[in-house]
Amino acid sequence: MHSSTSNSDLMAPPPPERPVPVQSWMITGVVTVVVFVATLGAWEWYWRDWGAQPTYRNSEGLWALQRKRINQGEGDATVLVGSSRTLSNINLDVWEKLEGRRPIQLALEGTSPMTPLEGLANDPDFKGKVVVGVTPMLFFSGFQYRDDVLNYYPKETPAQRWGQWLSMTLLEPYFAFYDDDFALFTVLKRQKWPQRPGVKVDSDVRRLFTVSKDRNMRLWEKVENDVAYQTRAKEIWREFWTNPDPEMMAAMPKIVATQMERAEKAVKKLQAKGVKVVFVLHPVDGEFAQFELHAMARERTWDPMLQRTGAPGIHFQDYPQLQGYWLPEWSHMARAEADRYTTALYPLIQEKFQSTGEKK
Amino acid sequence: MLFNSLTFLIFFVVVLAFHYAPFIPWRVKKHFLLYASYVFYGAWNPPFVILLWLSTILDWYTAKYMYRTEVLSRRRWLLLASMVGNLGMLGYFKYGNFLLQNFQQLMSSIGVDYQPPAWDIVLPVGISFYTFQTMAYTLDVYLRRAKPSDTFLDFALFVTFFPQLVAGPIVRPTDLIPQFETQPKTTAGQFGWGLFLMTLGLFQKIVVADGLLAPVADAVYKARGMLAPLDAWLGTLAFSGQIFCDFAGYTTTAIGLSLVMGFSLIDNFRYPYAAIGFSDFWRRWHISLSTWLRDYLYIPLGGNRKGPVRTYVNLMVTMLLGGLWHGASWTFVVWGGLHGLYLAVERFLQRRFGESVAFKGTPVKIALALITYFFVNITWVFFRSQDFATAARILKSMLLLETSGKPILITWHVWSAAGTIAIMLLCHWLLRDRDLAEVAEKTPSVLFGLVWGAMLFLIAITQGGSDAFIYFQF
Repeated sequence: MHSSTSNSDLMAPPPPERPVPVQSWMITGVVTVVVFVATLGAWEWYWRDWGAQPTYRNSEGLWALQRKRINQGEGDATVLVGSSRTLSNINLDVWEKLEGRRPIQLALEGTSPMTPLEGLANDPDFKGKVVVGVTPMLFFSGFQYRDDVLNYYPKETPAQRWGQWLSMTLLEPYFAFYDDDFALFTVLKRQKWPQRPGVKVDSDVRRLFTVSKDRNMRLWEKVENDVAYQTRAKEIWREFWTNPDPEMMAAMPKIVATQMERAEKAVKKLQAKGVKVVFVLHPVDGEFAQFELHAMARERTWDPMLQRTGAPGIHFQDYPQLQGYWLPEWSHMARAEADRYTTALYPLIQEKFQSTGEKK
Repeated sequence: MLFNSLTFLIFFVVVLAFHYAPFIPWRVKKHFLLYASYVFYGAWNPPFVILLWLSTILDWYTAKYMYRTEVLSRRRWLLLASMVGNLGMLGYFKYGNFLLQNFQQLMSSIGVDYQPPAWDIVLPVGISFYTFQTMAYTLDVYLRRAKPSDTFLDFALFVTFFPQLVAGPIVRPTDLIPQFETQPKTTAGQFGWGLFLMTLGLFQKIVVADGLLAPVADAVYKARGMLAPLDAWLGTLAFSGQIFCDFAGYTTTAIGLSLVMGFSLIDNFRYPYAAIGFSDFWRRWHISLSTWLRDYLYIPLGGNRKGPVRTYVNLMVTMLLGGLWHGASWTFVVWGGLHGLYLAVERFLQRRFGESVAFKGTPVKIALALITYFFVNITWVFFRSQDFATAARILKSMLLLETSGKPILITWHVWSAAGTIAIMLLCHWLLRDRDLAEVAEKTPSVLFGLVWGAMLFLIAITQGGSDAFIYFQF
């Protein structure tokens, strides 16, 4: 008889006892394990057969790992912020060969670099150099597809840090299916369902990159080699400029002005603490170029932004050595092209950093 | 630490290995379980473990001294100290900003421009749950329903026991502390059934709540314009399923985890969407909270012993406070208020017309269950909406007061939400008077293994893993 809180002399009921079904647990357990292993094995085989290989996930935790380096003794590093073109086009291995030191890759796909840039401006530990990749339709709209990362970093819990390490150690290097793009409901959602009249369908961008432990990203082989996949990627980009939201377009001049103001403030703050900043507008091709370079014409965006911030910029249209690369889906460079491009871009960036120093 | 994370899986394997290690005395294992629970909680935000310690120490001593004294005034002072301490912490972290905002609005309404200081405080996860759990201990001792725990270790473990620490079930001391006295002798059946319940809970959370229903509810409740009635309804129905599978998923996992270690926790849900009427609903939804509110608030207020009018008032007060318990927002208060109103009206109708024989047939029961579900969904609109403007917009569409809204849900979301909800309602109805263990017992072992293996497979390929449980914020 229990002597404490449930003491029956105080009329407390006995502790609950859960009903447990009578089952042949050994048989049940064996069948469960066999079914699980067989189905998961088949799923993994399916994705590998389709062309997927294991790669690190471009997760919030992976970004946080890189961001933390600045506060853990690498405050003088060169940091890359920007969007997906900065991820695919600047190759960290090539950069490291040229400089002898690897930059920190903090670019985020589909996301304006403004919030990370402001973070660097406000971080007293950061005293290095910044390369800001500009994808006009993201930079000047302030759009943040990876809001999750920006919200995650300041609030990352110890459990999430441990989870990131475990995932990178036990899962990501071994399982090809373990990728957002191959998650069950992502796959089901993108099937060709008959559409409801009047409903605007925004397709999710498909997987485009492979990712290393320190976020060195390469265009995925499949994007380069599989024409159907390339075409699908282009169709998804095309949705961006087909039937734009009129309200959004009307508000755009005001949004652009706000982003410029943010950029100016952040750059001035960085410059005040001796940080050198260079803006880079990477190549874009095909219909994407026609849309982007028109909708965000440089005379309304890029040129005034450089003027306001006082920072140097490298626009691909101004340099022959930054033109003529192969962008299989109009927006990101093929792997070999990214290596060549990084080699061409690196000295230009250094030149601009140098000129900033001389001006000072 | 989230149940639906790899970190937790590793953590639990380590805990289990120690729990079942031979030659280690039970007392040492209990210590380990306690420290593991602190690690589990501290893995969110280490400093908040201090709050757990404060709550533990406060209630340990107040209950101990309360039990020793017969002087009523002294017992009352000790109870007051416990209430002020516990509710003070809860109030500071959870309701501070809400009170300041409302004070500011009040001042503004009488022409005073008051600017409150910034209140940028992180809410400790699960604070509402463990606060109620520790308060139950002191209240039970005060009400002479139970003696205090014999050992501080058992009591500390009761407050901190990791499976149910952050989102319930809110366990009564009399249900759990006695189970810590001796090492539980776990049978193979308990171990196997516990693992199955863990899988079922994670399936509900990862596959159904996060995978199938959350995207639909989010799309509808984040939309800015007026919605087509079908979309408004599907978003709300999806949320009804999401919140059930999220919360019941958590507690089912918690019950499974505990059972694997040999401990029994109470049920927190019994197929609530098959409820016929609202008192039936509250006997099936978040049972540990509804019984807590009944025992420590509704009955002390007088319950139904002081006449019909006072009964209605007591019901309303209890449900309004129950709403506020969920979150510091007027939308939660309205949610609770609506449930209070439903309960009061139901009680009035029962008093007026009694139990009709016409209500006994199955078709009528199904109709009544659907009517109950309809009204419950009206309350979910307030629960899910960020503000009253959103709630009004959704309700107007749902009640066909505005039919010109735009459709926004893609075909996949329409069918996935509709199909999931239909299956969920069917399951609730079929299981409404049965226990899951009973169904499992009648299922052939091979079929049972097939279903279990399929659930594990779907969990793995859904790849959910980082979405917190909705009730953590409460």
